Formats: sequence, structure tokens, C-alpha cells
Amino acid sequence: MVVLDTVGGRVKRGVRLLTTPPRPGAQITGMLLCIPGMMLLWLPSLWAAALGIELIGTAFWWWARAAPDPGREIPRWAWLRRPAGALWLAAALHTVVPGLSHQLAMFRQSLELWRHVDAIAVMWAGLELLAALPLARPYSDLPGPLLGIRPWLPALLPAAGFAVLWRQSPHWTQVAVVRNIAEVLLVLTAVLAALRAFGRRRWTASLRWLVVSDCAMAVLLVDLAKVLPGVVLMLWLAAFGGHSFLLAGELRGAAPRRGVVLSLLWRMSTFVTSAALTWPALVSMFPASTERLSALGFPAVGIATMLTAWINVGRIVEAPERRTLMRADPAVTFSHLGALLGLVIAPVALLGALVTGFHPSPLAGLASILPALAGGGLALWSRGRARAEARARVQAALEAAHDGHGTRPAAAYGRGGHRAEPPVRDEGSAQPTHAGLALRQFARVTFNVVVTLERTVVSLIARFANAVTSPLRDLNSGDAQDYLLFLVGLSVLVLVLPLLR
Amino acid sequence: MSLSAIVTPVVGSFGTALVPTAVALAVALLLFLLERRQDPQAATVAPFAALPPLAGVVVAPARATFVLVPLVVGLAVAMMARNRRDLLHSECGLKLLWVLGPALALSWAGMELLTLSTGTSVFAEQWAVLQLGLEPRFLWSTALPLSLLTGVVLLGAAPFHFWMADLFHGARAWLAPLTAAAFQVMGAMWLARRLTGIEAFPAGAEITGPMLAIASAVAFIAGAATLLGQRRPERRVGTLASLHGGLMLAALAAAHGREDFVDASRAMMGPWATHLALAYTGASILARFLPVAPGLAAPGATLFRRHPITALVGALPLLSLAGVPGTPGALVWLDTASTLAATGHPGVLAALAVAWLAAFATAIQQLREGFGIPAQGQPPERPTPWAARGALWIAALGLAAMGAAWLGRGFAG
Repeated sequence: MVVLDTVGGRVKRGVRLLTTPPRPGAQITGMLLCIPGMMLLWLPSLWAAALGIELIGTAFWWWARAAPDPGREIPRWAWLRRPAGALWLAAALHTVVPGLSHQLAMFRQSLELWRHVDAIAVMWAGLELLAALPLARPYSDLPGPLLGIRPWLPALLPAAGFAVLWRQSPHWTQVAVVRNIAEVLLVLTAVLAALRAFGRRRWTASLRWLVVSDCAMAVLLVDLAKVLPGVVLMLWLAAFGGHSFLLAGELRGAAPRRGVVLSLLWRMSTFVTSAALTWPALVSMFPASTERLSALGFPAVGIATMLTAWINVGRIVEAPERRTLMRADPAVTFSHLGALLGLVIAPVALLGALVTGFHPSPLAGLASILPALAGGGLALWSRGRARAEARARVQAALEAAHDGHGTRPAAAYGRGGHRAEPPVRDEGSAQPTHAGLALRQFARVTFNVVVTLERTVVSLIARFANAVTSPLRDLNSGDAQDYLLFLVGLSVLVLVLPLLR
Repeated sequence: MSLSAIVTPVVGSFGTALVPTAVALAVALLLFLLERRQDPQAATVAPFAALPPLAGVVVAPARATFVLVPLVVGLAVAMMARNRRDLLHSECGLKLLWVLGPALALSWAGMELLTLSTGTSVFAEQWAVLQLGLEPRFLWSTALPLSLLTGVVLLGAAPFHFWMADLFHGARAWLAPLTAAAFQVMGAMWLARRLTGIEAFPAGAEITGPMLAIASAVAFIAGAATLLGQRRPERRVGTLASLHGGLMLAALAAAHGREDFVDASRAMMGPWATHLALAYTGASILARFLPVAPGLAAPGATLFRRHPITALVGALPLLSLAGVPGTPGALVWLDTASTLAATGHPGVLAALAVAWLAAFATAIQQLREGFGIPAQGQPPERPTPWAARGALWIAALGLAAMGAAWLGRGFAG
């Protein structure tokens, strides 16, 4: 009987499994959507890119609906359908207007119009993912919807934006107007992202903004077209890869910052990769002529480069060791390899650029390396100053304790010497910038002012569109007004049509 | 006999007009029987007899003559008004009568004016007489657009799109899809017949060509704006249907004035009509199981929670109506767009692009609302009838087979 019961139970379980198959959780379903989506972006087909972004958007929606607070998370990531829609439009345009692919000599008359629409659609999709449009710019401020890897998840989106704009570059770089607009937006994004990374206290948030800045700089290189696409890809991989590795590392106990050697290695690696990424852009935008845009672009990119270098050198500090018994780690870990890889790839990519025809003038080359050096130098100087101040305070606290005043040692150490800041955890979630409160406040305020202005303009446009289209909605409610519309339309038709000659 | 030897002809048969329409009719019968089962008092099956004529119009559009139009409209209105206890149904019938009655009257007035002024009721002869320039321009330039009015109204293209949403919202699920498809086919045929041979009268072609182009552009823009504002799933399906009316208007505008106008418009009309019959059938069933504007973070609909695979499969007709790539409907949208691009109608093409994006976004939003957020606790107790689920599967599989058949032999045959 027991055997029969067991067999019967198994059969029942089997039947139940067939009738109601197990449903994968939100995490797995999202991953199953997101990973193929990211892979599709690297294919040359626009349809594949559109499907890829649609899958990524669906993955974010799937994670958001399963989040603890779906009412907040779902609207937050709903904008991801916009870039997907733009790419679907571009793909469809290529299908219905074959002349866009330069294979036929037909449709000459309207070809320019569709080429512009195509370029704008692809640029829109990529730039919005890169946080370069005013519609969804601040998304990197907040963590993603999936609980397990929330702080890391938004870093996927600028990477997707880069993939779209890099892979589909022939579609948007061939239209001069679109290219110029993209250049302005990318420079602005790089500066804003660097400012935000500089102003944020939380290290993971800073890293997310650095990723945005890296991607914007890489796409700027695509836009400027002074180096080969392969070189741009290598430079982007080195810079973006370093920052995203650090971001992922923060979720694994700040592994890349454990120990003096590792933190130093990563400081060097991120400094070199970021400088290598921005150097060709700075060289290309060096104001050799009297062009106004270039004259504005060079200092803007220079500021972004300087701030990025400052953060890379100033904020990567050794994570405090909390274990009483040290675990025997291998001498070379993935963190070591990651940092070394960046240190190798970036110079090799620059060498590749120089070999393949990128020959800057000595003046431009030297001037373009200055912002990164200035940022790194300022970071080192401020770190040294902060260390000296901390040492002095410890000394003062010890003396006070010795005199019996009983000052609390924790207060004496402070956070990077800035007493005005509230205390934060020492576990790597927030690290000192060593930049002074005033500078960080300035960065925060600048970013907020720009974003608020953008949002106001967007909101005004949306309200106007809403006001214009609301009569249409009112007249389609299913009641008698619809039929009034019908009669009015009919009368107008009868009166106006004879006048069409 | 291998499996492919059986499957290939079966799938291929979905490339014809007859088989998909027969499938739509079978689905309607299934829904009709389900309704009879839920309402034993109304045990008669006589109302179903109204559907074969409607399906016949879809299968053979060329036979939809001017005389047939008021008969079919009258039949549909009578079907909706026959049950006096069903207020929504009766109201829908009255609205249809209110819209289509004046449109038919105005069109007939226009046609009679043309007959009076030219002395003949044969269209080809009318163009030849008008080409002589003996008639006052004001007379024929008023009569000609009036004679086309019924075609535009029957297509459900904006600004005459509201009746379509009312039909899908108010009429029964077994009646609305075939009625809408038959009306639109009759509208397209009305226009095609009325404009046949107009290239022999260039002054008339100069009026009707831009009129069709403007009407289709307005249909796309107003339809898109309306679609984004709709909250009820049934009305969304209705507005998508009105966009398909706009597609046919655009196709006619693109073919207008060409010598092969008749052949070109009929080549497009066949697949367009059969797609409408199946897609409307599936989408209108699904719409009954979708939540009404629940917000972004509300629990999903019962169908989506209890039978997610059926819901996903059943969403194919809705996605196809919206022209989501990979569905048969996308071929209809893209083919029309290609024709517009090839014939130099950039304005209409731009309007079509806007409408397509709006339709695509609405379909995806509708699906997301259907899935909603995971509901905590037990699944809902109320089941989804097996007949409705079966109907969803049949409509979706039929549509998939149609898509495969089109891909196999080329879209327009």
C-alpha cells in the first residue's frame, strides 16, 4: 500500500506539474528578457535593436511589478517604452522607404525628410537611454526595481544607449543637423552627470552617474568621428567596465576596495581609463578655429573630465576591514585583474587611435591632458589636506581626553573633516569626496537647477498638448456629443469641399 | 503521409478569404452558444442567421453593391435593436442608425445630383460627360464628395470614428466583429466603385485625390489622439478598427488616379478584409476580459492570472490590429506605408507613423494592464468560461496561420 501511495502521489504530482507548470519568479523572468535584449543591441539590424530595447523595457516593467512598491516603481520605468518606440519607427521606415538604405535611386523627393526622421528616431532612442534628454534624465539618481541588484541595475541603461548609438551610428551621424544637436546634448549630459557624481554622497549613486558620463563621452567620440569605432568601443569598455565593476563590487562587500594595493590599483585604473576616453574628445574639440560651439565644448568637456578624475582619485578609498579573523584571499583576484585589464586596454586603444590616423597637434594634445591631471592633482591635494586635518583632530581629541574633558573619539574623526555633514555608514555606501562641502553643494545646486528648468519646459509642452487634444477625448465619450460632432463635421464638409479647386 | 504534407495546405488555405472568415464565423458561433447557455430564456438560435451574410460580404467584397449596403446596415441595426431588454445593445443600434442613415441619404443625394446633371447613372459615362465641361462646376464638385461620404463613414475613419468604438463597446461579442468588418469592407468598396475610371475626368480626380489623402491623414491623427485617451478596452479595439479604416483610405489615396486603380485597390482589400474579420473577433473577446483603466499598479485581470498562456496567445489579435512587428497586422500597416512612400504621400505617411506608434503603445499598455501586479493571496474564484478561452485560442491560431500563409506566398497574393 505504501508503495502504491508513493506511486500515486508521484503520478498526481506529475499530472499537476503538467497542468500547472511552475512559473519562474520575477527575477528569472526579467533576466530571461533582459539578457537577450542586451545581446540584440549589438546586432546591426534596427529591428533587432528595437526588439532588444523592448525586451529590456519589459524586463524593467516585470521587475517593477514584482517590487515591494509597484505603484512607485512601474511609473518610474515606464519611459523605457519611448526609446523602443523610436527604434521601431526607424526600423519600419527602412522597410517602407528602401531608398534610405542607399540601394535604390527611387523616392529622391522625400528621401531627405525620411533620412532626418530616421536619424532623429535613432538619436532619440540612444540619447534618452543615456539620460541625455530632459525627459528621464535623473533616473540614475535612484536604484533599479529588482531587489537583489537594485543599485547596479540602472547602469545597464546608458550601456544600452551606447550600444544603440555606436552600432547604429550610420543612421544618425550622416545627418549634420542631428549630429550637431547630439553633440550639444552629449556635452551637457557629460557635464551634468559628472556634477551629479561629484555632488552625491552615496558612492553607488556616484558610480551610476560616472557610468552615464562615460557613455556620454564615448558617444561623443562616435559623434566627432575622429577615431575608429573599434577604438571607441575599446575606450568605452575600459572606462565603463571599470566603473560598473566597482558598482557591482559595492554589492559584494566592496571587494575592489579591500586593501591598500587594490584601492590604489583601482584609483589608477579608473583615472587612466577615464582620461583615455576623454582625451580624444578634448583634442577633437580643441578650439583651433573661431567656432563658437567648439569654444564652448572644450571647456565643458574639460570640466567633466576634471570632475571625473577628481572623483576617481579622491573617492576610491580603502574599505575598512570588519573581520576579526582575516580570510586567506588569493594573491590575484578578479578585482586585481579587472583593474589591470583597464590599465592595459585604454593605452592600447589610444595607441590604436594614433596608429590609425588620429594625429593631434602637440599643443592640443598637451592641453587636453591637463583637465584630467588637474582633477587628479586636486584630489590628491585635498586627500592630503583632509588626512592632515584628521590627524590634527585626533591629536586634539587625545589631548583633550588626556586632560579629562572626555571628547567622543568618533566625533573627532568625523567624515573627511566636514563637521557639517550628518554621519554616514563606514561600509562603503558613502565615501568622502575630500572636496569641501561648498564645492559639492555647488555641484548639487547646479544639477538641480538645470533639471528643474528642463522639467518645467517639458511639463509646459505636455500641458499644452493635453489641452489641445482634450476636446478630441471629450467628443469621443460615447454620448450625444459624438453625434453633434458628426453633424458639425458633415455640414463643414458640404460647405468647404466645393471651395477646393 | 508526412506532417508537413498535411500542415502546408491547411496553413496555405488561410491565405484565402474563405477559411479565415469561416474561422471567425465559427468563433462567433462558439460565443453565441456560450451566451445562450448563460441565458437559457433566450434559447432561440435564429439571431445567428444574421452572421453568414455579414461574413459573405467580407469573403466577396466585389459583390457588395450600392443596393446591398442599406440592406446590410438595416440587418445589423435590426439585430441590435431586437432585444428591448438589452438597453446598451439597443442604444448601439440606434446610434448606428443615426450615423449611417444621414450618411446614406447624403450620398444618395450626391449620386442623384450627378445623375441629374449628366443624364446617366453609369459612372464611366458620367466622367465622360463631365469632362465635356458643360455642367456648372459648383454642382458636380458638391455632388462628388457627397457621393463618397458613405464610404468614409462606413470605414469608420475619423472624424466618423465614434460609432466604431460604440459598436465594440455596446454590441455583443459574437456580433460586433463581423459587423464592423462587413461595414468597413462595404465602405472600401463604395469608394472604390465610385472612383473607378475617374482618371478620365482630371478635374474630378484633382478634388477626390487630395480629399482622400486629407481624410486618411485626419483619420490617423485624430484616431491616434483618441486612442491614447481611451480607457475602456472595447473602445480601444474600436478605435484601432477606425485606424484600419484609415489604412484603407490611405491605400485608396495612394492608388487613386492610376490606371490600375481597381486592381490595386482590390489586391489590398482581400487580405485587409480577412485580417479584420479574424483580428476583430479575437481582440473583441480579449477586451471583455481586460480591466477598465485600472491604473498602473492594480492586480491583473482574472484571465491573465488564471490562464496567462491563454491570455498571451489571445493577445495576438490585439497586437495584430496594432501592427506590432511579427504579426499579420504589421504586414497590412507596412504594406500601406510602402505604397504611400512609393506614390509620394509623405504627409499621409507621417500621419500613419504617428498612428502606428500610438496603436503599438496602446496595445502594449493594454497587455501590461491585463497582467497588472502580482495579486497577493488566492487566485480569483470566478473562472473564465472554457468556450471563451477556446475562442481566443482559435482566433489567435487562425491569425497565426494567416500570417504564415501570407509570408509563404507574399502579402497581396
